[in-house]
Amino acid sequence: MPLLIDRQIVSDDSWQLVEEADALPQSGDLLLPLALYLEQGATLGERRVAVKVNGDDDLAPVLDALDRFPMIAIEFPIFRDGRGFSLARKLRRAGYQGELRAVGNPARDQLGYMERCGFNAFQFADEAFSEEFLNAFGEISVRYQGSSDDPRPVYLQN
Amino acid sequence: MYIYNEVDQKIVDERVAQFRDQTRRFLAGELSDDEFLALRLMNGLYIQRHAPMLRVAIPYGLISSVQLRKLAHIARTYDKGYGHFTTRTNIQFNWPKLEQVPDILAELAQVQMHAIQTSGNCIRNTTTDPFAGVTPDELEDPRPWCEIIRQWSTLHPEFAYLPRKFKIAVTGSPRDRAASQVHDIGLHLVQNDAGEVGFEVLVGGGLGRTPVIGKQIRPFLAKQDLLSYLEAILRVYNLKGRRDNKYKARIKILVEAMGIDAFRDEVDAEWEQIRSSELTLTDAEIARVKGFFQPFEYDASAAADTSLQQKLANDEAFRVWYERNTHEHKVVGYRSVVVSLKPQLEPAGDITDLQLEVVADLAEQYSFGEARSTHEQNLVLADVKNADLYAVWQQLAEHNMARPNIGTLTDMIVCPGFDFCALANAKTLNIAEQINRTFDDLDYLYDLGEIRLNMSGCINACGHHHIGNIGILGVDKKGEDWYQITIGGSDREDASLGKVLGKSVAADNVADTLKKILETYVEQRTDEESFLDCVRRVGVDPFKEKVYAAAH
Ligand code: SF4
Repeated sequence: MPLLIDRQIVSDDSWQLVEEADALPQSGDLLLPLALYLEQGATLGERRVAVKVNGDDDLAPVLDALDRFPMIAIEFPIFRDGRGFSLARKLRRAGYQGELRAVGNPARDQLGYMERCGFNAFQFADEAFSEEFLNAFGEISVRYQGSSDDPRPVYLQN
Repeated sequence: MYIYNEVDQKIVDERVAQFRDQTRRFLAGELSDDEFLALRLMNGLYIQRHAPMLRVAIPYGLISSVQLRKLAHIARTYDKGYGHFTTRTNIQFNWPKLEQVPDILAELAQVQMHAIQTSGNCIRNTTTDPFAGVTPDELEDPRPWCEIIRQWSTLHPEFAYLPRKFKIAVTGSPRDRAASQVHDIGLHLVQNDAGEVGFEVLVGGGLGRTPVIGKQIRPFLAKQDLLSYLEAILRVYNLKGRRDNKYKARIKILVEAMGIDAFRDEVDAEWEQIRSSELTLTDAEIARVKGFFQPFEYDASAAADTSLQQKLANDEAFRVWYERNTHEHKVVGYRSVVVSLKPQLEPAGDITDLQLEVVADLAEQYSFGEARSTHEQNLVLADVKNADLYAVWQQLAEHNMARPNIGTLTDMIVCPGFDFCALANAKTLNIAEQINRTFDDLDYLYDLGEIRLNMSGCINACGHHHIGNIGILGVDKKGEDWYQITIGGSDREDASLGKVLGKSVAADNVADTLKKILETYVEQRTDEESFLDCVRRVGVDPFKEKVYAAAH
């Protein structure tokens, strides 16, 4: 699936999304839905694990263990569901420094706002991606309000 | 008024380019209907019954002569020569072509205007008192705060895909002329015991299918905390508001479901995290924005005018207009003029290209180049010298904008209804016309006094029917238009929701029903008692009996 990280097209993605406990592979980087992580996390030892959260999840256990995750994926199930924007801001505000990836159905015309809310990675369905998406980031070059990208409102930016 | 700097200008310019590209991709089939829908809505573009409808933002209702002329030009060039003012103090054009919308937006950007966030599930235009800054009963001018909110909320990256639309109103006077209690957030400038001015904050008001009066979430919020507190409310709402049912998605439903105390706790917990951050407004920024709303240089000799008294004594029609359609000004020698967009035979809030230009000229000549739009769908020239009122009246009268009906029954708020709106259940414009024809005796209207009549063509309540002293709601009964009538609503500081009178009435009977309601009022009222006070005192029953007894 096409992936952008830090505004670059990336072809290698080591994270394997696993939805069921009995499908856990023996090796490799794991991306687990939060519920599955909470169930299996203790058994995974030192393995590299990322979690996938969505708007229905309680973020507290993730916020308590931010250092555990080199990557956190936030799901955008449909275009109009904007909860992921606030989840991203909460994670960045809590000091999360790792990769924050929008998955599910991030749309080209949301990428600019997503980046401002703290996402630095975006994963798309194959048919949903075009290289032209990279243009989306620069469309609005100035901003009034602070956000995760820059906490300063416009009047403190200079 | 606020004047754009380079950043403001760049935002609207880049937004135009962005929307141009979105429209191009949509027309080329590269953007799905569903995505373009959400994107165009955030730029004020609906697809209506006949054609697209473009809603242009008038931030907190303040507009300059230059901008009015641009709207006239747009009405003439891209539309059928008119526009329509809405209860959100915006203006909408009913006949633009989709492929021309980017050009219209580019024209608007030339005069510091845009259509950003005039629809869609985002933070909408903030509204306020149309007499802000000039009314004597004001504690503080709310407009700088509206501008601060405008900047913070414009293209806010986190709050563009909220569960539902979000509306904020700010008032600076104990008299509420902005219907603030039926907003998602109502902000009232108030003074605390220490003499500091801050905000009383209400949350969870709204109309639509489930009308609710807003609840107090904070009795006093320090000014510098305004944005951090708003952001905390919005974040809680964005994460917790319902998304499974659009009729249950407004913040009012969340507040009702959680209870105001639990909701407040949740907001406070979030607020604690962000309160001491860059969201805290600096004194310098507050002062900078306030600088744009300083009082004009009023003419000290205006108070000495004697011509007004003479004209009032000699010209009855002028005197009647003066009494109904002008409002007290804090500077002696000045008045605020309400430009009536409620003529007898045109839809409420409609304005032609020529009328827009007339108002632009009058504003330029007599009112410091500015006008305001009101949530009652009229315009205001806020700063007219007493000595100039007669000339202003004559011009307005010549162009059908001086009907002396402000605050009376025929100063109706009316949504466009079935004639234009794709969501409507019933027509509204024909009913407004019926009412106008029936109640054309001004002396009778003046005897009835202040009555707010509001009409909506469906339960979405764009015409604010619940908070009209008399409310009319169009309903569809087996393909026919019927109308449900409520009485006793108020959009003022004593806000209340109207009570249903009884079963709905047929289209032909609306004006007759109103007649009976008003006869009952005249029979029941005590000296000087307003319609609203009378309904509150005697209840709905006497009205009901009169209306429905006669039907049998
Ligand atoms: S109240 Fe209904 S009919 Fe009237 S404008 Fe709103 S959606 Fe349309």
